Order: sequence, then C-alpha cells, then structure tokens
Amino acid sequence: MRSGDSTDSDYSPRGEEASGGDRTRDDSPTPRERARQLGRALLLGAMLAAIAVPILVASGESVRFASEKVFAVGALVFGFSLLGWSGSVFAGRGMENFQRHIGGRSDWSEADSRRAMTVLGSVGVGGMLGASLATMVVGSVV
Amino acid sequence: MISKRFVIKRLLLLVPVLFGVATFVFAILHLAPGDPARVIAGQRASEEFVRQVRTELGLNDPIWVQYGRFLLEAVQLEFGNSYQIQKGTPVKQILRYKLPVTLEMALYGQFLGILFGIPVGLLGAIKQDAISDHVTRIGALAGISVPIYWSGPLLILLFAQVLGWFPASGRIASTFDINPITGVITFDTLVRGNFAAFESAAMHLFLPAAVIGIYSMALISRMMRSSMLEVIRQDYMRTARAKGQGSKITILKHGFRNALIPVVTVIGIQFGTLLGGAVLTETVFGIAGIGTLLVSAIQVGDYPVVQGTVLMFAGLFTLVNLLVDVTYSYLDPRIEQ
Repeated sequence: MRSGDSTDSDYSPRGEEASGGDRTRDDSPTPRERARQLGRALLLGAMLAAIAVPILVASGESVRFASEKVFAVGALVFGFSLLGWSGSVFAGRGMENFQRHIGGRSDWSEADSRRAMTVLGSVGVGGMLGASLATMVVGSVV
Repeated sequence: MISKRFVIKRLLLLVPVLFGVATFVFAILHLAPGDPARVIAGQRASEEFVRQVRTELGLNDPIWVQYGRFLLEAVQLEFGNSYQIQKGTPVKQILRYKLPVTLEMALYGQFLGILFGIPVGLLGAIKQDAISDHVTRIGALAGISVPIYWSGPLLILLFAQVLGWFPASGRIASTFDINPITGVITFDTLVRGNFAAFESAAMHLFLPAAVIGIYSMALISRMMRSSMLEVIRQDYMRTARAKGQGSKITILKHGFRNALIPVVTVIGIQFGTLLGGAVLTETVFGIAGIGTLLVSAIQVGDYPVVQGTVLMFAGLFTLVNLLVDVTYSYLDPRIEQ
C-alpha cells in the first residue's frame, strides 16, 4: 500500500472509529469507577491541604499566610489541570492522528489525557476546599 | 462551508481555557512574595495605615472570598482599579488605551512577515537548491536566530542614527496632537484626514514592525518552504502535471492551498508570541504599550493590572487560535470532522 493511501484512510472519521474509538471504549472506566477516582483525588487534595495549613502555622507563620499559600497552591494545580484538560480537548484528536500518521506507539490518547487532568483538577479543588476548612478550624483554635 | 456547530464548540472551549488562566494568575500572584497594601501605602507608612489599605482593597477577606470575587468580576470584564501604575483608574480603561498600541505594532509586524515570508518560502520550494533558495534559507536562519533585543538596536543604529531615514523611538512626532478614536494611530490619523500625521506615525511604526516582521518572516518562509516541498511530491500534483497543466498553475491552484495549513498554524502561534514578545520591542523602541505596562505592574505588585493584562492576552491568544481553526476547516474541510 502506498503511503498516501494509508494517510487518507487514517484521517477519515471511519478510520478513527475503527482504530482509536474501540480501544478507548474498552478501556474507559464506568461512571461509578470514575466518580470514586475523582472522590479519592478530592480527598487526597483536601487531606494534603489540611495537613499543610497547621504545619505552616506551627512553624511560626500566621493563619492568614498559611491559608493563602496553601489555597493558592491548590488553585495553581486546579488552573493547570483546567488548561491541560482544554488543551487535550482542543488538540487531542490532532495529536492522536499525528501519532498514528508517524507510526508512534506512545499509547497517549485524548481520553486518557482528559481523565488524568480531571483527576489532577480534583486534587486541586480538594486542596482549595481543604485549605478553607483547615483555616476555619485552625483559626478558631489559634 | 464552516459549520456553526464547529465554531460554537470551539467558542465554548474558550470558557475553561480562560477560567484556567484566571485561576492560574490568581494563584501565582498570591504565591508571589510582597504585600500590595504595603506597596500602595509606601515603605514608611505605619502598620495601622497598611491595615486600613488592606481592608479597603478587600485583602483582609479570606482567600476563597477574594478568589470568588475575582472570578465574578472577571466574568464581567471588571478587574478593579489600578493600585499603583495609574492609581484609582479602572484597569479596563487602562487596557483600552494600551492594547491598540501593542496590537497595531504586532499586526503590522505580522503583516510584513506574511507579505514577504510566503513568497520567499514558495520561491525556495519551487527553486529548490538554487542560489535564491540558499540565500533565502540563510536569511531565514539569521532572522530566527537573531533576538529582537539585538536586531532592534542594530536597525535603530543603521536606519535612525547613520542614515536618518526613520525615527528611533515613539509613536508620532511631538508636533502632532491627535485625538484618539480607536487608539490605532495610523488608522486615527487617516480617518481624521491628517496625512502628515499619518506619514509620521507610519515612519515611527516602521522599525518596530520590521523587527517583528523579520522574525515572523523567517519562521513563515521556513514553514512555507518545507510544507510546499512536501506537497509538490504528492501524487495529485504529479497527476495534474501529467494532464498537461503548467507547473506554475499546478503549484498555485492545487499546491498552495494545501501547503498553507501548517503555515496558518505558525502564524497563529506566532501572533501569541508577538504579543508576549511585545515587552522587548516596546522597551527597545520606547513605546508605551501593554508589554511595558505588564512588566511595570509585576514590579510594583499591581495585582488588578497584572490579572487584567494576562487575562486579556489569554483571551486574544485563544481567539486567534479559534480563527486559525476556522481557517483550517476552510482550507481543508476534513479537519472539521
């Protein structure tokens, strides 16, 4: 088969369906699994933040400072994941096609990237929530 | 024909991008050292006065309240008032005056880059390995390699100091007093029918635009050349020639449009880089645009100005990329699918 032919079929929507579409459908977790994964990530972020705030306060920083910095770190992770998620949606298909076109086998896919960014975003949101809650608790004690 | 669904989908994707950028900027500014209240009050101000300023600015509120307030205001394109750069002036107003300055420079630079880059790249591909190809290739490599802070002063030295053809800095001669309509000075002077002022503005704009254009032209011509070389070798080009079509018509009718797709990508990304690189160009040519505004705002901790400027940059960049996407689907309708 000539290279031109293979490229054309790879770019066609039917080609995508046959090669990438099925694989993604098989690998994708159920909504329940996904919710559990996100819940765990959220909890992880909240716990990390809830630990970080009192540690910073114990090390001599003010509650306001600790709250601001930990919340900002959570927001940074959340902002990054949002940009990563939209980047995956924007250019993910193109990257997959390009990968297939050059014959790369990195296993990177748009769906995986989106999922990873959602998990990361949950950690960030968890961090923001955890920092807020920890500030209220630590603030009432100190 | 570009479908509405495609454009709406792309427009909707701008929401998470801008939300992400807003959150990112908010986080970075709050992680950065320094207290804006202290900056506003001055280093010698009493602690009580600093506390009062902090309360007035809402910096004493819990950070999640500040974050929510920032997001709500950002949605309404309200970034508050400047703390320091132009104390008390709404950021929206500052941006309204500064943005056209940078946009004008970037657009003219990009225009020069496209105007020369595409024909030069095309020529390089058609006359592959001829002397003209080698010359343009070396020129393009030099254009990519020489940074703006080096090519800028060199052009000033040659064209302003030695030859005296163009002014070295500023936007227009001080003898002209132009009431801005849009802020794009070449447009405003033309609309007002003041051709002498237009000539002065164009002369002032030429060197900064040329500096931007050289870099842009180098990248565009390299991309055009390699893309065209790839297209020339395609089967459909050979078929068109075999059917008796002249090589010039084959290239311009069938090859050019297909070769443009990667070039359009470069132009889109390049535009974002031009906005970011405006800081250097504006500093070298003494132009008070948005780049210098951003640097000053970061230096003095003017949070609202930094947030507003970065969000506006992000918005512009994503809009340009949307335009690139729409152009793609016009050039190759398969991309829409």
